[in-house]
Amino acid sequence: MTRLAMLLTLALMTSAISLVTVRFQTRELFVASERLKSQSHELDVDWRRLQLDRAELARNARIDALARTELHLVPVTQGRTLYLQESAAPAQPDASGGRP
Amino acid sequence: MKRFGFHESPVLSSKPSFWRARLVLIVLALAFVAVVAKALSVQIFSNEFLQRQGERRYERTLVLPATRGKIFDRSGSVVLASSVPAKAIWVIPEDFHKATPAQIATLAKLLGVDARDIEQRTQDEDKNFVYLQRQVPLNVAEQIRQLKIPGVQQLTESRRIYPEGEVMAHVIGFTNIEDRGIEGIELAFNDRLSGQPGSRRVIKDRLGRVVEDVQAAVPAVDGQNLQLSIDAGIQFDTYTALKAAIDEHQAKGGAAIVVDTRTGEVLAMVNLPSYDPNDMAQRTGPALRNRVMTDTFEPGSIMKPFTASLALDEGKITTKTLFDTGNGRYRYQGALISDVGHFGTLDVGGIIQHSSNVGMTMISELLSSRDMWTKFSQLGFGRVPQTDFPGMAAGRLRPWQRWRAIERATMAYGYGLSVSLIQIAHAYTAFARDGDMVSLSLLRRDGKPTSTQVYSPRVTSLMRSFLEAAAGPDGAKLAQVQGYRVAGKSGTARKIVDGQYSKTKYRGSFVGFAPVSNPRIVVAVSIDEPSTGGYYGGRVAAPVFSDIVSSTLRRLGVRPDAPVDSLVAVADQGGHAR
Repeated sequence: MTRLAMLLTLALMTSAISLVTVRFQTRELFVASERLKSQSHELDVDWRRLQLDRAELARNARIDALARTELHLVPVTQGRTLYLQESAAPAQPDASGGRP
Repeated sequence: MKRFGFHESPVLSSKPSFWRARLVLIVLALAFVAVVAKALSVQIFSNEFLQRQGERRYERTLVLPATRGKIFDRSGSVVLASSVPAKAIWVIPEDFHKATPAQIATLAKLLGVDARDIEQRTQDEDKNFVYLQRQVPLNVAEQIRQLKIPGVQQLTESRRIYPEGEVMAHVIGFTNIEDRGIEGIELAFNDRLSGQPGSRRVIKDRLGRVVEDVQAAVPAVDGQNLQLSIDAGIQFDTYTALKAAIDEHQAKGGAAIVVDTRTGEVLAMVNLPSYDPNDMAQRTGPALRNRVMTDTFEPGSIMKPFTASLALDEGKITTKTLFDTGNGRYRYQGALISDVGHFGTLDVGGIIQHSSNVGMTMISELLSSRDMWTKFSQLGFGRVPQTDFPGMAAGRLRPWQRWRAIERATMAYGYGLSVSLIQIAHAYTAFARDGDMVSLSLLRRDGKPTSTQVYSPRVTSLMRSFLEAAAGPDGAKLAQVQGYRVAGKSGTARKIVDGQYSKTKYRGSFVGFAPVSNPRIVVAVSIDEPSTGGYYGGRVAAPVFSDIVSSTLRRLGVRPDAPVDSLVAVADQGGHAR
């Protein structure tokens, strides 16, 4: 009888301690997950910002101005374009060729 | 002193009275009863109330904000609109008055406003919430936070940024300060872009940190991203070409649209004057108007091909039918209809090419008002176009029962009805395709577009050749593009001022497609009130058409279909260019 009581007491103690430990671990993991979530949010915001920065730098108006003023480029005209024609295939009526 | 043991104590010798012991016992018992009663009332009867009160002290519902979707161009790599977090700076005036003048000066400098202005706005101590500035960038907000000025608080909000600025302004539109779309695509697709905010219920500790979720959180659903049919490059080229023409002719405004004839996608849509959507101060006045969609005008000569095609389609005329336009003066129903020149006897091709009003009047005599009305409304005139965009104009096409004979004649050459530029471009897709009008879209389209047949393929191929001649050496030759065959029609319409046709205010337009051998794009250009360097559509709008076609076809990689004096290299078997 006493032995059984001892055994049960021991089991009770173990379970109580493990409950506390698990509770503690839950909190710790929760905090970690919160931190990761906010980190992911920050990264997303950074990505948006960088994407916008890139868009700003690659803006057509800016590229155009730079190409004209700094690099002294001129728009390509049909007259200055070298068209390559595949001799084997007959002329395609559209897209495929054309691109200089 | 006498000593004695415990049991011999004189105190014990007297017999204590029994009732005192009873009294103590009863009082103790009562105390226990009171404790039990209190426990009962707290634990059972007011349990719910107390628990609620407790929860209110440590549980919080957090709103998880949803981010508005991004808008991309057709390539999916160019961002046209995106949201970034920002802060709203607000103050509690009562606390703010403890701030030193130096602090206020620094704050004013960071916000870019006058210090006196801030002081004035925070004077009223009865208020406990005053916005100083909204949509402050994060880095500035961080600097403000570090100043630790008493009473200055921050709220998170989001700020919409449009990198392409005024080039895309009318297509994209903009959102208001509450992140709701109020113009353009932002308004048309507000529901798809805006997303659903979520919520979570949490327990917070003494320092305000989240400790635990109480129940499963409802996650925020971010707004969907949109991929438009607009090509950022073509849009820019179109904008540049149109802007150059507006500057050259000192016009009041202008509009242009480029449509892919195969898919019905709108590749570019430009309106001038424009505005920078990033700058709230500029979002006012006529610059906001999307002229392509909301402005209607009397189209003038660009309507002629539709009437002529109808007559050909119905067999009322053939290509051999001749019309004597004489010296370009024709009395019809008490009105004088005149041409810009003397063209003599013309066939239908000649009428289109020389844009003869007299010839068109003669064709209209063979048609019935009802047939014309039916065809025009089939072409989409007088109806709101079926494209998701706010504020689209229907134009005006009066019911045929109320047309007079003279009106039938004027409608045949484009007066007496009003249309928008997008309707014209849409209707011209019928000529660019085999007589079927493709449905337009502002979103990128992956499937096959729907189309409605309006003319027979035979007639449209005839009309293509007439329109090519109209844009040829004897017509609006400024529309020509090196390397490509183009077809199109210019139009010049007088504007109505105070109910009368003005003699000084015009609208020059040009609509066409290219390359003629296998049309790929329809381009419509309209220049509003050009004041210097001519006003004819063939003079002011045709060169813009030419510029746009040239750069667009190059960007699309369309092979030239006209002989070019260029270096054409023929790759031999080895693949080397000679």
